[in-house]
Amino acid sequence: MIVALYGVAAVALGLAWPGGLTAWVAAALLVALGGVVGLVYLLSRGAGAATEEANLKAAEHERREALLRLEVEGTGVGLGLVDESGRWVQVNESLTTILGRPAAELRGTSLPEVERAVGELQAGTRTSWHGETSALALTVSATPVNGSGVLYLVEASDVSAAKRAEALRDVLAAVRHTIATSATWDQAGPAILAALGSTLGWDAAQFWMLDDQNVFRLRHAWHRDSERLFEFERDCQATGIPAAEGVFGRARKSGVPAIDRSITPQGNPALVVAARKAALNAVVAVPAAGGGDVRCVLALFSAQPEEQREDAMNMLATMGSEIGQFVQRAETTAALQRSEADHRAIFERAPMGIARISAEGSLVEANAALLAMLEHDFATLRDQAWPDLLRSYDQAAGRARVAPLLAGISAGDSVQVRAATGDGRWLWLQMTATSIPDELGRPEHVLVMVEDVTKVRDAQDRATEALEAQRTANADLEKLDRTKTEFLSIVSHEFRTALTGIQGFSELIRDGGLEPDELRAYGGYIFNDAERVNRLIGDMLDLDRMESGRMIFRMADVDVNEVLSDAIARAAASSNVEFKPDLDPRLPIVTGDRDRLVQVVSNLVNNAVKYSPEGGTVTLTSRSEGGYALITVADTGLGIPPDEIPHVFERFRRVRSGAAQSIAGTGLGLTIVKQIVEMHGGKIWVESAVGHGSAFHFTIPLAVETVTPAMQLRHA
Amino acid sequence: MPDATAGSHSYTVLVADDNEVAQRLCRRVLEKAGHRVLTASDGQEAVNLALQDSPDIILMDVAMPGMDGLEAMRQIRAQKPGMTVVIASAHSMASDRDRFLAAGADDVLSKPFKLTELTGVVDRLGGRSSSAQA
Repeated sequence: MIVALYGVAAVALGLAWPGGLTAWVAAALLVALGGVVGLVYLLSRGAGAATEEANLKAAEHERREALLRLEVEGTGVGLGLVDESGRWVQVNESLTTILGRPAAELRGTSLPEVERAVGELQAGTRTSWHGETSALALTVSATPVNGSGVLYLVEASDVSAAKRAEALRDVLAAVRHTIATSATWDQAGPAILAALGSTLGWDAAQFWMLDDQNVFRLRHAWHRDSERLFEFERDCQATGIPAAEGVFGRARKSGVPAIDRSITPQGNPALVVAARKAALNAVVAVPAAGGGDVRCVLALFSAQPEEQREDAMNMLATMGSEIGQFVQRAETTAALQRSEADHRAIFERAPMGIARISAEGSLVEANAALLAMLEHDFATLRDQAWPDLLRSYDQAAGRARVAPLLAGISAGDSVQVRAATGDGRWLWLQMTATSIPDELGRPEHVLVMVEDVTKVRDAQDRATEALEAQRTANADLEKLDRTKTEFLSIVSHEFRTALTGIQGFSELIRDGGLEPDELRAYGGYIFNDAERVNRLIGDMLDLDRMESGRMIFRMADVDVNEVLSDAIARAAASSNVEFKPDLDPRLPIVTGDRDRLVQVVSNLVNNAVKYSPEGGTVTLTSRSEGGYALITVADTGLGIPPDEIPHVFERFRRVRSGAAQSIAGTGLGLTIVKQIVEMHGGKIWVESAVGHGSAFHFTIPLAVETVTPAMQLRHA
Repeated sequence: MPDATAGSHSYTVLVADDNEVAQRLCRRVLEKAGHRVLTASDGQEAVNLALQDSPDIILMDVAMPGMDGLEAMRQIRAQKPGMTVVIASAHSMASDRDRFLAAGADDVLSKPFKLTELTGVVDRLGGRSSSAQA
C-alpha cells in the first residue's frame, strides 16, 4: 500500500513535469531531489556570502526554485524535510493540509513516527523507512546535503479514507461473527454496539425496538466512557420515541439510514434534550428491517456534526438489514421455543390426563396428571394398565358406535370407561382420542385425553335414579288418581241406583191416590234401598278406615267354632237353606277382633245363602292347619264364572249372572272381608264351579296358647 | 194393562234393568200412564224381547250382568236400525251422557229421575219408531 501511494505521488509529479509519465518517473525523483538541494540552498542563504557569481547563481537558483516550488506545491503528496532530530525543517502545502497545521506551526515540531524513522535510518541499516499512523502513510529517506549534513525527506499521504474503509469492513466482519455465534439479539446486541461505536469512533451506539404501543424503546446501549454519556443513556432509557417521529421515523419510513447532522428540536423533543445535555450533535439512525416492517433502529451519536461518508452509510445500511434479519430470526426462534415450552407445560401440568400412543397402541408418554389419576408409575401404566384401558375403550367405543382408539382418525370422539386405579379404586374415565398424522397424513400417534368423570357420572347416576323414582311416584299418583276417579264413578252409580227406587216410590206416595197395599209395598222398597245406602256408607267408611290403617282391632282370644255356630244359628232362622257345620272340636283358639271375625263369617254366610237356591246346602268347616285356623263356607249355589273369580274381592264386583240379579249387596262385602282377614295375618281365596257352587276359604293365625277343655267339650 | 187415565198415545215400552226395584217403579208409573211394559234383567234378554216384541221404545240400563246395555243397543240396532233406545243409567256424569249419545242413544235418562221425566221421554219418543216398524 505504501509503495502504491509512493507511486501515486511519483505519477502525480511525473504528470506535472513536461515530458510525460513513464520515462520521467526517475527524472522526477531526481528533480525532486534537486529541488531539495535548492531548498537547502535557500535555507542556508541568509548566512552565506554574496559574490557576483554567487548573485548570478543565486538568480538562476531562484528561478529554478520558483519553478520547483510550483511543481512541489502543486502535487497532492505531502513532502517535508526533517533534521537529524526528526523536526520539520521545511514542509509543502499539501503536508500542512494533511497534518492540519500551518507551516509556521509545524516548523521545529516532529511526529513520533518520523522521529523513530530518522533514528533507524541514522543507525544505518537502511536508507529508507516506510510506516503509517492511523491516518498517514509515511516514507522517510536520508538525503545528504552538502554543508548541512544529512536531512531526511518525508513523504506523507492521507490514508484515513482507506483506513476507514478497512475499519468498516472489520466492523461488518465483527458484526457478522457476533451474529453467527449468538442465539439471541440480547446476547449479540451489546457486543455489536461496542464494536460499532469504538471502532468507528462514535460517542454512543444504541439499539431501539418498537414496543406494543408502536413506540421505540431503548433495548441496548454502548457509549464511550464518560459521565455525560452515561447520563444520556439513562435519559434515553426513560424515554420512548413514537415510531413516526424524527430521525427514527425517517429511517423507518425510508428503510435507509437517516442522518441528523445537528440534532434539532424538530426531531424527538425528549431525545433532543437528552442529546443536547450530553453535547451530542449528530445522529445516524439505521433501520434494522427484518423483512417488511422496520421494528428496530440502530442509532449512532457523535459530538461532531461530521460529514458521513457514503461508504460508511452503505456499510451501516447493510449491517442494519443483517441485524434486522437476525433480530427477526432470533425472535421467531424465541417464539418457537416459548411455544414449545408452553405446549410442554400444558402437557406436563394439565389437570387432565394426557397420553401419547404409538400407532401400534403402546403408551409412549403419559403426563403427571394421568399417572396420578390412575395411581401407577409410568412403566406399570405402559405395561399393565394401558392395554386393559385400550381394550375397555374399544369395547365402549363399539357400544357407542365410535371408531376404535387406534382407528380414531376423526377427532373429538369420547367414550366413558370404567377402570381400576393402582390402588384399586374404580373410576369412570372419559377418554377422547385424537389421531395426530405425520407429514404424509398417515397416523403417526394418537393423543388421548383422559378425564376422571367419576363424580359427574355418580351424580348423573344418582340423578337418573331420583328421576326414575320420581317417575314411578308420578305413575303411582296417576294410577291412584285414576283409581279414585273410577271409585267415585262406581260409588256414585251405586248410590244413584239405590236412590232411583227411593226417589221414584216416594214421589208416587207423595202424589197420593195409592191403595194401602201399594203404600206398604212401596214403603218396603224405600226402606230396603235406604238401608242399602246406609250399609254402603258404612262399608265404605269401614274400608277406608282399614285401608288407611285407622281401624282399631280389639285383639283377644276368639273361639272360631263359636263364631261359626252363632252365624249358623242367626242365618238358619231366616233362610230356606240347610246348614251343615263341620267344625274341628280340637281347633285351638285364635287371636283376633271377635266383632270383625263375626262380620267376616256372616258376610260369607249371607252371600252363600243369597246365591243358593231354595233347599240348597251351606257347609261351614273349621280345621287347624299349619298354625292357622282354616275356615270354609261352601254353598251349592250358582257358582262363579271362571273369568269372574280373580275379581270377586274387588270393590263393586258383584256376580250378577242369572238369578243373582235380584240380590242386593253393596258390592263392598267381599272386599271388606278380605281386608279383615289379611289384617289378622290370614289369607282368603275362593274355589267355584258354575252350577256347582262356591267355597270361600280363609285362615286366621292360631293363638300361642293351647285350646281350653271347655271349648273342646262344647263342640264335641 | 192400559190404565183409564192414560194419555192420548199408548206405547209398548221395554224396560231393561237388572235392578228389580227400578223395574217395578217403571212398570208402575208407565202402566199408570197407559203404556204396555215389558221387562228384561240383562242385555241378552233385552235383545231377545226387542227383536221378538218390537217395542215402541226401550229404556235401557247400562250396568247389567253379562251383556251390558250399550252392547244390547248395538245388537238391536244391527237388526232394527230404527228402534228407539233411551239409555237410563245411574252413570250420570256429563261425560257418561256424551258417551251414550255417541254410542247412538236417542236420549239419555239419568237415574234417579223424576216421574215426569220418565213419562215425558216415553211420550216424546214413543211414537218415533212406530211408523218405521209398521
